[in-house]
Amino acid sequence: MTVQPGLILVADDDPDIVALVSAVLRRAGFDVVEASDGAEALELLRTRRPQLAVLDISMPKLDGLEVLRLMRAEPESSGLPVVLLSARAQEADVRDGYAQGASKYVRKPFSPRELVAVVRELLAF
Amino acid sequence: MSALRRPWLAYLLLGLAAVGIYFLLPWDTPGQAALYDGIGASSALAVVAGTLLNRPAHRLPWLFFAAGLLAFSIGDSIFNLYGYVWDKTPPIPSFADAFYLAAYPVIAAGLALLILRFGALERRAGLIDAALFTVAFALAQWVFLMKDLVHGEGSVAAKAVEAAYPGMDVVLLSGLAVFWLCPAWRTVAYRYLAASLVLLLVADEVYGTSPDTYANAGWLDTGWLLSYVLWGVAALHPSMTALTRRTPSMQPRLTWSRTALLAGALLTAPAVLLVQHITGGGIESIAIVVCGTMLSILVMARMAGLFQALDRLRGQERSARSEVESAHRLLQQQNEQLRAADQLKDEFVALISHDLRTPLTSIMGYLELTMDDTELTDEQRGYLEVVERNSQRLFHLVNDLLFVARLEAGQLDLEPADLDLAAIVRQFVEEVRPRARAKGIELRCNAADVATVSADKGRVFQLLDNLVSNAIKFTPEGGKIHVCVTRRSESVRIEITDTGIGIALEEQGQLFQRFFRATTARDEQIPGTGLGLYIARAIVEAHGGEIAVESKPGEWTTFRIELPLATTSARTAELVS
Repeated sequence: MTVQPGLILVADDDPDIVALVSAVLRRAGFDVVEASDGAEALELLRTRRPQLAVLDISMPKLDGLEVLRLMRAEPESSGLPVVLLSARAQEADVRDGYAQGASKYVRKPFSPRELVAVVRELLAF
Repeated sequence: MSALRRPWLAYLLLGLAAVGIYFLLPWDTPGQAALYDGIGASSALAVVAGTLLNRPAHRLPWLFFAAGLLAFSIGDSIFNLYGYVWDKTPPIPSFADAFYLAAYPVIAAGLALLILRFGALERRAGLIDAALFTVAFALAQWVFLMKDLVHGEGSVAAKAVEAAYPGMDVVLLSGLAVFWLCPAWRTVAYRYLAASLVLLLVADEVYGTSPDTYANAGWLDTGWLLSYVLWGVAALHPSMTALTRRTPSMQPRLTWSRTALLAGALLTAPAVLLVQHITGGGIESIAIVVCGTMLSILVMARMAGLFQALDRLRGQERSARSEVESAHRLLQQQNEQLRAADQLKDEFVALISHDLRTPLTSIMGYLELTMDDTELTDEQRGYLEVVERNSQRLFHLVNDLLFVARLEAGQLDLEPADLDLAAIVRQFVEEVRPRARAKGIELRCNAADVATVSADKGRVFQLLDNLVSNAIKFTPEGGKIHVCVTRRSESVRIEITDTGIGIALEEQGQLFQRFFRATTARDEQIPGTGLGLYIARAIVEAHGGEIAVESKPGEWTTFRIELPLATTSARTAELVS
């Protein structure tokens, strides 16, 4: 199965935030698959092959950073753009995120408009 | 002249002169005898005069002394009447003896009354030491003086009277010993009184051991006469009031003289035994046994007192130490609790800050989506703007709380880089310009090129935001805000001046404290948490800089920040380029 163009995985344990992110991305013309925990996100990454992943860090089962690490270890998803979305707002958290291979770190609360801009920018390459 | 103003000195000089004249007068004449009687009587008068003049707290001891001295003097007069008027040797016992022997107990009573004024503590140790000394003296007195008088020839009355004199000396000596061995006071009056007693006792003793001395030379009179004079001087001296005043207690010190005296007292019994054994005149075993036993009991009493005092001290030390220990433990516990509470608070703040971000994300995100809707009425849009403004406030508060929590946990990590401060200030001013314009405030910026400073860009932005946001918040519509960056010799100065409500002078010192809010801000009900300036100061100080405020309430406020220039190497590089 090849990468699905325009398909984005949104993973967050807060359904309101999943719905928000999905809504803005759909408005911007993307397709969205949703996950509510890390394990589900990993499963969807393998089965649906999205073009980009938006991951929350604090999630049950597997946290966002762990999902990212496992993804980067697999050749199929090692180059996939990943946006980390987190309420952990300290400099150290941001540094950690980039060290694990995040393409972009967006702090909560975020502006939906800016998130769309980030996603567009990442997919342009 | 000074002697006239000091009665004691006048009496001392007159007394000494009279004693001198006594020895110049022809020996064994009625005139000489009259002078002797006069000196004796004058001492009783001097003591009464001194008591009236100096007004001691307790007069009774001194009146006893006066009575004793008067009795002595009357005895002297009767004795002289026998010699010069009635022309016969006084019988033994005579009326003179009655007055003499009455004088001793009266004087001893006076001494006892003085001694009763001592503190209990000094009285106890001093009394025991004095008793030790007195018992030893009494033993010697009995064995070498009284025993022979009692067992000698003559009527019972005569023997009793003759033996009474050395006995009375023991009584007086006991008083003197208490005086000396109790460390209650060492005043001038005490010295005169003690000297007077010593002279009296020495003269008595010499007379007692060898009455022939007196018959051959009149020099023993010196002792008795000077004793009279000095007693009067003691009573006239102003320091005599201290003798009847209670003094703070103190334990007698173990001096060499005291130790030697007590050792001598303890050695008296064996010494007397040895002397009697050598001279071979029969041993006074009963007297030696009684005195030896008494000495032993007194030593035991003294030791018991010392052990008690030691135990008391140990007890006090123990309780003091346990108090210190329990206070220390309590302090440690409180420290521990404080530390735990502090940690809990930090964790709490961090958690709250994190958990507040999540719901804020939904609120602010959905708000933005809703406001993108073009079909909103103006009224609806107005409402949503209120929601947005308040969400922003909440968001700032969360950020500030998190920042303060990290600051107090010592987790403020700077990522310094060489920054062009002027450029940053200009960029920042352009970003906030819309906010100022919205409130009708004129925002000006003078930021000429300055040297680079080493600073964390994010923190500098935060600092500027705190200060300029405050300026906008506290400046009424139509006001002005001026941001100015200038180069100083060692630093770069940023000044933010507004024409806002200002801060009272007395509050300016507290302004940078956590949660402090100026009265003007509270009165005008301008929202705020009191964290902004606290954070601003923390950021400035973390960069090694200083922040200060100057304000005229109702007119203007200036915040002045000095940030040190980048390190010399960076500056040199800049100068070279």
